[in-house]
Amino acid sequence: MRRSLHALAAIVVMTGGAAAYLLLPRPAAAQAVMLYKNPQCGCCEAYADYLRRYGFTVTEKPTHDLAAMSRGVGLADDVQGCHLSMIETYAVSGHVPVDVIRRLLGERPDIKALTLPGMPQGSPGMGGTKAAPFEILQVSQSGVVTGVYARR
Amino acid sequence: MSNFLAPTLTRRNLLAGMAGTVATTLLPVRHGLAGAPVVRDFALRPAPGRSPLLPAPRDPTPVWSYNDAVPGPEIRVRQGERLRIAVENGLDEGTTVHWHGVRTPNAMDGVPDLTQPPIAPGETFLYEFDAVDAGTFWYHPHQRSFEQLGRGLYGPLIVEEAEPLRVDRDVTWVLDDWRLGEDAAIADDFGSRSDMMHAGRIGNVVTINGRVADDVAVRRGERIRLRLINAANARIFALDFTDHAPLVVALDGQPVTPHRPASGRVVLGPAMRADLVLDCTGPVGSRATVVDRFYDGLEYDLVELAYGAEPLRDAAPEWPVALPANPLAEPDIAAATRHEVLFTGGMMGRMVMEEMAGRAGGDGPGGGMMGRMRSMMGMMHGDGIWLINGVAAKGPVLEPMLTLKRGRSHVLAMTNATAWPHPIHLHGHSFRVVSRNGEPTPYREWQDTVLMAPREIVEIALVADNPGDWMFHCHILEHQMSGMMGVIRVA
Repeated sequence: MRRSLHALAAIVVMTGGAAAYLLLPRPAAAQAVMLYKNPQCGCCEAYADYLRRYGFTVTEKPTHDLAAMSRGVGLADDVQGCHLSMIETYAVSGHVPVDVIRRLLGERPDIKALTLPGMPQGSPGMGGTKAAPFEILQVSQSGVVTGVYARR
Repeated sequence: MSNFLAPTLTRRNLLAGMAGTVATTLLPVRHGLAGAPVVRDFALRPAPGRSPLLPAPRDPTPVWSYNDAVPGPEIRVRQGERLRIAVENGLDEGTTVHWHGVRTPNAMDGVPDLTQPPIAPGETFLYEFDAVDAGTFWYHPHQRSFEQLGRGLYGPLIVEEAEPLRVDRDVTWVLDDWRLGEDAAIADDFGSRSDMMHAGRIGNVVTINGRVADDVAVRRGERIRLRLINAANARIFALDFTDHAPLVVALDGQPVTPHRPASGRVVLGPAMRADLVLDCTGPVGSRATVVDRFYDGLEYDLVELAYGAEPLRDAAPEWPVALPANPLAEPDIAAATRHEVLFTGGMMGRMVMEEMAGRAGGDGPGGGMMGRMRSMMGMMHGDGIWLINGVAAKGPVLEPMLTLKRGRSHVLAMTNATAWPHPIHLHGHSFRVVSRNGEPTPYREWQDTVLMAPREIVEIALVADNPGDWMFHCHILEHQMSGMMGVIRVA
């Protein structure tokens, strides 16, 4: 019976340490990313590849519980991106550009998550043309959107 | 079956019954001694309850159920009999019952506002219709289905052939999944935007007949007719019987040329059924796993077949496996009227639509369906997430998107220009699935719900012989509620 109770999703926070060697300039050692995604979502895979191109070591984990997991890290339904990346102690939701993630890891603000809600056209991993600047929101430890962390 | 009570007829439900009885039977019905059809009375009461989905020591789960059981009681009749089912609403909200796959008169189809007013709390509605087709069907609400089904309102409806297939056991598995918390309670997030945009509400616990499955005891040499019903809101199953080679003998209740399923997997989208002939050919004392392999990376063991120490017989029996055909009118494809149906929307929908329209762009003048697809790209805004022919419906839908001339043959050429699979259900009729991506289907199977892969083009054919306004929708209930539905009129 255990078999059918698939994973009441414990969120695994991966810490940095896995090594990768890259051509692209970057500040520190390669970061390990655990990326939770819907099993049928192709753009999440494209985003994982995008992170890899910039030197992240990405493990993709399909799940049916993405919305609940996103809520679990303080992201209300209306600000969730379409996948969830766990990087060090941070949750990064959706198609957040890599320079914003690097800034996050460099500045290490006392927040829980960053999110780019939805699937904006033209964002990394998405096709299409960018229609408007992306607003990457920051979410406090208590799960409140406290402002725009970056515009791209 | 044991908890069926003959309904106490009150003046109200008698009137409701009379008002609802439309005496158009498609076919001769089974007659009793005096020449009247054999009438079978049933009573269903949807109401809140508790059900032990998870084994002890977990608490029973608060559910909504028919007659205090998940699934609801199996309604089992013979082909040609008349069913009379009194539904007393014990919920705090309106409901209806839809007899999925049964070709009922329109007024008995159980779609709120379209075919009847919702049954108000405390009220009773009397459904009455003939079991024209033998096969595996099911019943469920059509009012706020995404939550009413999701909380446990569904049950099997089995119509036996005059001469049932010879088997040792006739077994029904109603498959469902649930999104449960650690307290075994159903998560309250019905209709979340994420579920609507993606694959629908897919749960974290899978049940067979309302229980997390334990072993299923079988005997070597035994032949089982296994009736599978997918009652889940959104989960698609692809069952691999590993060491066994079941034959598919019926789909959506309708007989099909007995065949091994493609890739050895029985694929069932929400609302779909399959009847299997499963010969238990394993050694005594052995075990075999049934694995669900639909979602890559999320495969899991559904249940194990556990062989007893005593064989029933040494080898599989050599009894016939083909079922007699149901009385369905054969569509004349050459003379059929053709209708284009285009599904768009959802996560990544724009991308797929652009890609498919672009691919078709080189072939022709850009008219027809692909031209319409291009023109629709400018229209995707507002609340609706999923669209049929450019319209994201908001319930209740009353105006038809298509009118099919009664008594004539029709082909619906359906394009899934989305990144997601969709099980598309037409009420009141069964249809032949005649082609997929331009290739004829090997069995031209009759279905009432056809699973379309992303980017797939599927043609279905039918004789529009059941008059009325019929729902046509995706049976991923979160897709249905967020636009993917319409009405097809047969007149």
